[in-house]
Amino acid sequence: MRVIIVDDEPPARREMRRLLVEFPWMEIVGEAGSAAEAEALIEELHPELIFLDIQMPGGSGFDLLSRLEHVPQVVFTTAHDEHAVHAFEVNALDYLLKPIDPRRLASTLDRVRNAGAIPAARGGSVMEHLFVRDGSRCWFVPLREVQLLTSEGNYVRLSWGKIKPLLARSLAAIEQRLDPAQFFRANRRQIINLKFIESIEAGVNGRLHAQLRDGPEVEISRRQARLFKALTSI
Amino acid sequence: MDASPHAVTRPHASRGYWLCQLGGWGLYSTLQLCAGALLIHLPWARIGIEVLVLNGIGLIFTHRMHAYIRAHNWSSYSLRGLVPRIAIASLLLALPLGLLSLFASVSSLQSSESLIQELAPNIQLHFGPLIRLLHQWANWTTLFALWLVIYFVAVSIRRRRNAELRQSELIRSLQQAELRLLKAQLNPHFLFNALNTVRSLIAENPKVAQIVVTRFANTLRYALNAGQQEIVPLSKELEIVRDYLEIESLRLEDRLRVDYSVSEEAAAVGIPTMLLQTLVENAVKHGIAELPRGGRVKVDAVVRDGMLLLEVMNSRPAGVVRAAEGTGLRNSAERLRLIFGPSADISLDLSQPDLAVASVHIPVGK
Repeated sequence: MRVIIVDDEPPARREMRRLLVEFPWMEIVGEAGSAAEAEALIEELHPELIFLDIQMPGGSGFDLLSRLEHVPQVVFTTAHDEHAVHAFEVNALDYLLKPIDPRRLASTLDRVRNAGAIPAARGGSVMEHLFVRDGSRCWFVPLREVQLLTSEGNYVRLSWGKIKPLLARSLAAIEQRLDPAQFFRANRRQIINLKFIESIEAGVNGRLHAQLRDGPEVEISRRQARLFKALTSI
Repeated sequence: MDASPHAVTRPHASRGYWLCQLGGWGLYSTLQLCAGALLIHLPWARIGIEVLVLNGIGLIFTHRMHAYIRAHNWSSYSLRGLVPRIAIASLLLALPLGLLSLFASVSSLQSSESLIQELAPNIQLHFGPLIRLLHQWANWTTLFALWLVIYFVAVSIRRRRNAELRQSELIRSLQQAELRLLKAQLNPHFLFNALNTVRSLIAENPKVAQIVVTRFANTLRYALNAGQQEIVPLSKELEIVRDYLEIESLRLEDRLRVDYSVSEEAAAVGIPTMLLQTLVENAVKHGIAELPRGGRVKVDAVVRDGMLLLEVMNSRPAGVVRAAEGTGLRNSAERLRLIFGPSADISLDLSQPDLAVASVHIPVGK
């Protein structure tokens, strides 16, 4: 498994390297001392896992994650900020407290291995997860569970169950990274998850109305309706 | 005075109040009905209506009285003030009901006239209307006085319970504040990061690791004992600051550069324990640790015109001040003034975009 260590303190990075010697299946492909350095490195090397310090100069670990296009699996390492990691409400990630207990590290890495490595996300390929921050709360959102993406100006509103976080990206930028077999551009402002469509009704002027499970009804514009019919052979 | 927060938190009569009111009057009415049925040979309905009307008025009167007591804050009076008030109120409340009772058949239950006749039927007695009025008046007065006594006993019990509750809450919040202070003195972020540095050094350079452990023990001991000594010579605090910065520079490596310029005269001046240490910790936390390329911390101290001028300068990322830093500064300023009087002060100068300068003035020779 390809790993990057992100920590602003050189002794802490060296200590992490020494700890990982016991786990030969972990391949350390790089290390970074700041959020900016880490961002470039992650986009370049596409690691499967990062060990991430929370307090860093020039942007915290959370800042880094919300800027990433491809979010790998993350294990937070922190001396005292475990409460910050608890901000993850739904899918709590693992974290390690410094100085790191080797036994704790072993059980964490077991969990990482069992979680099934995310297929190494190479440049241009499909996005699996999104890191989303809304106020003080953060989530790792698995995209296959998102019902609907709605453009709101320069932002995108995700509909993920009851949680509707706002993302600082354009709908077009996200669309490029979505799996075209699962997500469909319904109209100028919305992309729907095909798995969540409950029923389809014909509307006026060749438009379609898609009713989403536990969600709103979304209009499919005339142009997209033709595409939709071809795609789903209705 | 004590009653005002009570009145604020309970704007309406409580459930307990209504339970007592209705329960008390209900019980009294039931007793009267039973006694009436046994002793007076009158139709049930008549006794029922009379009891209901008289006691209903009693209930309304006492409820109005309750509102009056609250509005005029009677529960703030001492026992000496309360007794005559209860007496007068009972007499006034009882008068209309005493008059009304003269026309009610159940009233004979409460008059000694009927009792005497019951016990000694051969004695012929006939009281005049005035005597009978006084009699009824006295009966109702007793009843209202009893009501008021029960009311004030209940109020004082509840108040004592609330006071105990407040007391224990106060103690708890004090303990929490102490704990927070202790935690801040120990600076857990520094503590665990330092331990992590030591763990790393044990593998890389055991000699340095040994030195760091002793320095670390020094800073920890000093922080733990800080509560026992209000004032220390600057030189003593400076020793700890050196130990602390040395540990931090091992952690941050070349990102932290330190300069000292302390005159001999200044080193002897007494300063509040942990004052310089706190300033230096902030300089590292909000300055150096936030800079990817690091920066410089400079500690200057001189004596001029009978005042110690102590300055901590540090590089910082260009930007706004953090709120937490502001409150920490206010606390330090408060402490300085408490110990040294109004001539002592502390200020933070952020007018330069990439520099923070904390300056302390302390009068010499105390």
